[in-house]
Amino acid sequence: MNALEIVNFTKRYDNAVAVDNISFSVREGEFFGFLGPNGAGKTTTINCITGISNPSGGSIRIFGHDVVEDYREARKCVGLSPQEFNVDIFESPRALLFYIAGYFGIPRSERKRRVQEVLLKFELLPHADKPFRALSGGLKRRVMIARALIHDPKFLILDEPTAGVDVELRRDLWRYFQEMNKGGKTILLTSHYLEEVERLCDRIAIIHHGKIVAIGDKKDFIGGGKNLEEKYLELTAYKP
Amino acid sequence: MNPIGLLAFIERHTLILFRVPIQTVFTPLITAVLYIFVFGKIVGERIGDIMGVPYIDFVLPGLVMMNVVMSSFTDTSSGTYFFRFTRSIEELLTAPFSYGEIIIGIVTRGVVRGLLVGTGVYVLALFFTSASIAHLGFFFLYALAVSIIFSLVGVLVGIFSDHFEHLTILNTFLIVPLTFLGGVFNSITMLPESVQPWVRLNPFFYFVDSFRFAMIGVREANTTTGDTIMGTLIVLLAFTVWYLFKKGYKIKI
Repeated sequence: MNALEIVNFTKRYDNAVAVDNISFSVREGEFFGFLGPNGAGKTTTINCITGISNPSGGSIRIFGHDVVEDYREARKCVGLSPQEFNVDIFESPRALLFYIAGYFGIPRSERKRRVQEVLLKFELLPHADKPFRALSGGLKRRVMIARALIHDPKFLILDEPTAGVDVELRRDLWRYFQEMNKGGKTILLTSHYLEEVERLCDRIAIIHHGKIVAIGDKKDFIGGGKNLEEKYLELTAYKP
Repeated sequence: MNPIGLLAFIERHTLILFRVPIQTVFTPLITAVLYIFVFGKIVGERIGDIMGVPYIDFVLPGLVMMNVVMSSFTDTSSGTYFFRFTRSIEELLTAPFSYGEIIIGIVTRGVVRGLLVGTGVYVLALFFTSASIAHLGFFFLYALAVSIIFSLVGVLVGIFSDHFEHLTILNTFLIVPLTFLGGVFNSITMLPESVQPWVRLNPFFYFVDSFRFAMIGVREANTTTGDTIMGTLIVLLAFTVWYLFKKGYKIKI
């Protein structure tokens, strides 16, 4: 079964078409790169997958569950680490994770154990009781990823997860992502760091002006003496 | 249903009230005490009885209602706007909640705050008046109904507002004037006869009257009309809020 199945998906805002009739799928267990320039439609697509936006047309299924009709089951399968810090900035990471775990139906008794586990994994324990706004950019990013994982979803969406973090943390995060993928999680990653995508992803899709302009295995993008960045610039018709 | 999720949301959302207790609870209580003291004690002693009760006892139900209205409305309007402003609404949209559950969670805090402040005003009034509750069941029923109505109105305002200032417009230009003109400080019989039919068109007249019936056992309005207005408003407002959430109007991107 595919982790994500998008068929003829369109998103319109008034008269503007943000995503134009795209179809693609992400296989279970895959590390999938979803690339495109700013405003190409990546985050809009992610928003519609996760319920933050309503699709204008087409269908989106997560592990067979339609994100509109069967939204409860679809949401349980997904964890989202968004580009922006969309949290209550006065709340501590511990409280944030505790309640988000509750949102996903995890009983109180199990939540404490799960929160402790995730805080430990992302080295957040020393900062667990500080307000979110008092954390550094890197720690905030780790909290976002911890929040996405707190209900142990099968499908993880990482929207620019390493934006604004230092080299050391970026490498730590890459290691976490690879471990999670090896542990069976399907991952969809968007990033402007093409080195990151090249290192982590098995398959890649490129969206440009709301349309998928290329999709295939990583080797399809890096063959012929070109690296991913060169191929990407060619596909998005970049002219210096 | 997602009962564990809903309880977690209600707990998390309601605890936020106590981060700023001076703003959410103590300020309205202090204001209410001043109202009771000035309008009830100082002015009231010169007015005498109205409908067979001292003026202060006559005014108190309206003051309790006003505080329930203001607290519930302020809570959900600012809470909903905050959710949109910080985009933390996305935590709810990406969780396995129905729109109904999200609305229940938001409205519950408005109701808790409304009832907390309303009860607090009543308790404080015991120091200045012979405050009574003639019909305890009706008191909680009407307090619940009014707090649900104004929590839902607050959610609507929180959805439509594009600026912090927009949050106060409805309160300043509609809720406060209609509350004062709805008979909080006077009996409808104290008004000229030509004005009385207009007052009966004001839903706040029925809200005040219901609280007065529950607290001091007297009423000027028709019970069925008052109850029907409250029930209809709850259904209409709940449906409108649910519809806006479903459409994602200013909630989804």
